[in-house]
Amino acid sequence: MASAPTSKYNSHSLENESIKRTSRDGVNRDIGEALPRLPGETRITDKEVIYICPFNGPIKGRVYITNYRLYLRSLETDSALILDVPLGVISRIEKMGGATSRGENSYGLDITCKDMRNLRFALKQEGHSRRDMFEILTRYAFPLAHSLPIFAFLNEEKFDVDGWMVYNPVEEYRRQGLPNHHWRITFINKCYELCDTYPALLVVPYRASDDDLRRVAAFRSRNRIPVLSWIHPENKTVIMRCSQPLVGMSGKRNKDDEKYLDVIRETNRQINKLTIYDARPNVNAVANKATGGGYESDDAYHNAELFFLDIHNIHVMRESLKKVKDIVYPNVEESHWLSSLESTHWLEHIKLVLTGAIQVADRVSSGKSSVVVHCSDGWDRTAQLTSLAMLMLDSYYRSIEGFEILVQKEWISFGHKFASRIGHGDKNHADADRSPIFLQFVDCVWQMSKQFPTAFEFNERFLIIILDHLYSCRFGTFLYNCESAREKQKVTERTVSLWSLINSNKDKFKNPFYTKEINRVLYPVASMRHLELWVNYYIRWNPRIKQQQPNPVEQRYMELLALRDEYIKRLEELQLANSPKLSDPSTSPSSPSQMMPHVQTHF
Amino acid sequence: MEFSELIRTGQAQAELLRGPEMPPLRGTLCVTGHHLLLSPGPQATPDLWLLLLRSVDSIEKRVAGDAGTITLRCKDLRVLQLDIEGVEATLDIARSIEALSSLESVITSFPFFYRPKGLRLGEAWHFHPPERYYKRIARETWSSPLPVPQTRAWRLSEANEDFSLCPSYPRAVIVPRAVDDDALARSARFRQGGRFPVLSYYHAPRGTVLLRSSQPLTGRQKLRCAEDEELLRAVLAEARPGARGFIVDTRSAQAAKQARMTGGGTEAKAAYPGWKRLHRPLERGRPLQESFVRLMEACGDPEQSMDRWLSRLDGCRWLSHVKEALSTACLAAQGMEWEGACILVHGAEGTDSTLLVTSLAQLILDPLSRTMAGFQELIEREWIQAGHPFQLRCAHSAFSHTRPKHEAPIFLLFLDCVWQLGRQFPLSLEFGEGMLLALFDHSYASPFGTFLCNSEKERCLCEVRTRTHSLWSGLNQPKEQRKLRNPLYVPNPLAIWPSVEPQSLRLWQGLFLRWTHPPEPSEVAWEKVWQIATDQKTEGSQPTDSASEPQP
Repeated sequence: MASAPTSKYNSHSLENESIKRTSRDGVNRDIGEALPRLPGETRITDKEVIYICPFNGPIKGRVYITNYRLYLRSLETDSALILDVPLGVISRIEKMGGATSRGENSYGLDITCKDMRNLRFALKQEGHSRRDMFEILTRYAFPLAHSLPIFAFLNEEKFDVDGWMVYNPVEEYRRQGLPNHHWRITFINKCYELCDTYPALLVVPYRASDDDLRRVAAFRSRNRIPVLSWIHPENKTVIMRCSQPLVGMSGKRNKDDEKYLDVIRETNRQINKLTIYDARPNVNAVANKATGGGYESDDAYHNAELFFLDIHNIHVMRESLKKVKDIVYPNVEESHWLSSLESTHWLEHIKLVLTGAIQVADRVSSGKSSVVVHCSDGWDRTAQLTSLAMLMLDSYYRSIEGFEILVQKEWISFGHKFASRIGHGDKNHADADRSPIFLQFVDCVWQMSKQFPTAFEFNERFLIIILDHLYSCRFGTFLYNCESAREKQKVTERTVSLWSLINSNKDKFKNPFYTKEINRVLYPVASMRHLELWVNYYIRWNPRIKQQQPNPVEQRYMELLALRDEYIKRLEELQLANSPKLSDPSTSPSSPSQMMPHVQTHF
Repeated sequence: MEFSELIRTGQAQAELLRGPEMPPLRGTLCVTGHHLLLSPGPQATPDLWLLLLRSVDSIEKRVAGDAGTITLRCKDLRVLQLDIEGVEATLDIARSIEALSSLESVITSFPFFYRPKGLRLGEAWHFHPPERYYKRIARETWSSPLPVPQTRAWRLSEANEDFSLCPSYPRAVIVPRAVDDDALARSARFRQGGRFPVLSYYHAPRGTVLLRSSQPLTGRQKLRCAEDEELLRAVLAEARPGARGFIVDTRSAQAAKQARMTGGGTEAKAAYPGWKRLHRPLERGRPLQESFVRLMEACGDPEQSMDRWLSRLDGCRWLSHVKEALSTACLAAQGMEWEGACILVHGAEGTDSTLLVTSLAQLILDPLSRTMAGFQELIEREWIQAGHPFQLRCAHSAFSHTRPKHEAPIFLLFLDCVWQLGRQFPLSLEFGEGMLLALFDHSYASPFGTFLCNSEKERCLCEVRTRTHSLWSGLNQPKEQRKLRNPLYVPNPLAIWPSVEPQSLRLWQGLFLRWTHPPEPSEVAWEKVWQIATDQKTEGSQPTDSASEPQP
């Protein structure tokens, strides 16, 4: 570093420094340390490569490939770099350079990942080492194309808690106070014969018979009829979700569907209108008529008000995220950063989704009107809107388990097409069905947690680990498109749930400033002035953005949490121990502060 | 002069609109010599609303029918609307506010009349920051393992006792021991405004120093000054044999060269062996003021379509100024910490961006300056006593219609940079956002005397220290502390190197959007953080008390 100060200040160079420093005392440990392996994970091959790090330049290393991950350890003494990438994250593998390529490190592999980064490895031209690595990676990163199982089915990890037990629909509806005299639980979809992308258990109006439901299903895209997602504990208004009505060019009507929505409206006596939110922009809804879809017209549904929420479709979102990646990886845009960020429109889309969810929540909570939410098929934008509105309305979903239940219910069980949107184990990287809809939802949750730092039990790390395992294929949680497919594959028996990992390690994911508040409705500010790019997720691979220390806040958070828990536990123990004495008011330590010295002697 | 001459009408019936979150306040509006007050009448609770006239930045009046509206844009970035009964009353009140809010005389300003209960005059003034700082250096050099001569390398000079060498320096400054007062006087004549190189910070871990000055007056003829050269040579010689130095010039090389035409210039390489010049252009003066004005236009624009927000934010360049200031400070700090080099910072006058760089570099390197007391001392020593012309720079904030002359939000830029440090290192600063907001408010308009005048000399002439209260005595009252301190603070002995990438810097919403967004959630959150942190602290302090207790 002797000649450094004349160059400009660059926090990046500090990062170099810290890598070197850790290596000095860490190097022996690293060599002794074996390749990390999960039960069920088998090692396939290893190769010497040059990892072309976009931040620190080429680094010589050894790459290990298993049926689950790609693991690279630097072979250079002054660098302790380790890459640990689940193969599920890989979206595309390309060969770069040919037999005739000249120039250093121009021959090798370029791997595009789903989590906002690319990995480049340079290999020797001799000895088919690139071909071998390419073939092995392709085989294990895209098992579906090679009739191999997804790793989740091979994973033999054991956890103390079973994440599959987290969500039990009957219990969740009972928590919401259902069934009641307006709403019933129906098993009409027990074998997925009414709607193959819906869960087995549905909540519908008491006054609608199973035959009514079947007739309504015929008029809704993919039979996704309006069903209850959430009921307000006090005013009993509801959030319903469904798909678009099959109105078509000719403007078809369906008496049963109209009657069904009217029955829903009548469950709420406070207001004589039902509110329908169509998540799409108006023009898209009209255009959908050409393919048989459409929206609820005023004349057919006179007791309903329809609003469009202007949220764009999956293709627009995919392109927008692609633009975000362009400006953050590998090099972050330096000049005019904010203008470039604006030109991706990512935050604008976030704003529209949040604004839509706020409207839904506000309508239910302050407007005292029941709402129906749909888009086209009711599994992308609809899931975003209902789940975010529920998060704003119901503090239960802001706890760790509550959030897991929310994801399990509104996303997984109601058929958000995770397999198609993410492309688990699938080599077709350009598939038009792929789209970061769930990521966008998690981003919205993060924006809310920024604005209400004490309202959520979980921290940022919780959201990031969910996103990491959205792609990793280590757990069965996000596999397949719907419940019926999952049941057919016996996913709950044959794979491990992500919630098992998280719930057996909850402390890591807790927000120390969480203060439980029942019945508080959160209305985030969905103005561009108050939204920001989630730098810790989208730009996390860039060492220049990181702080120089391994996040000290987090460490302090953990200390705070540990102390608080310890304190509460001791207090409870003492209260138990002292309870006989408490009957005598003159001798009992009445305030917690008096008990403290006793508590502390145990430390 | 009597204030009453300027007050055209004392009273009027008015209604104050306080934004969408609060109900309007009705009552009798009164203009006094220093305040605007609105009293809801005798029967109501003493819900008196009060505004210091000095904090009015611009005033706009409109009359329609037999009523009028006055819009006050304040220096703390608040916008207030008053609906007043009677056209005549509206115009009179507007004129009175205009006249009283722009009074230039210091000794008739409110701090000279403010006598709060519970505070005593003369309390908490930092009377001798250079002296105190010199004692600290002496302590640090004594306890350091450095060779003996170095422990005596610096001395406290009172050559400026009567402000004759440099009107903008304090009476005492810290200079190399090898340079006598006569040489200082000559060096002062060679520097703009007499600001010869003085010690700003002694970095004990590496035994290096940070100096500041103004530009040398080399002029067209490339004049030299033997004493000035000797001064800088002595700095290097006493630091370490063969030590190197860097001169961080906060202007571009081009601008520094051009300054020769008007008598200024920069240090010639040949004249200062061992010193290397680096140019880091920082914006100051009018461009900085304009950036602030444009930023506030964007923040306060209700009509503005929100899709253009980010490019507008980009366009006003405020965050680039933050980035440049922080990275220049990091460069200076890096030079001391990693290279063991001595650093001299100057621009032209040496009273603006120079102080920005030296004070930020200290926050990065010096853990003591990150404590509540240390930060107050830093501001006192590196801004107030170092001669930042607060009265000129903070005469107006972002809303004034008058053409800016000397106004520039350089101190605000400093506070913003500190806020960014606090955001990136949430545990390392003992003070919180509330402290920075308070400093911003008080630097533009205050009942306290701390930010009055442009230099120590002026403050002595006006007897500011004996006739007004110190801001620090106001802020250090126990009841204020909860707002100002950072509940998560843990002393951090390391340097805090911020990331200066544009992605790591944020708009300081708590300041720039303070009045447009209900602060409720963040205030509630702050309160909870306090609770949790104080619970933890009382627990944390217990084990030592009880450790000796026998186990039950």
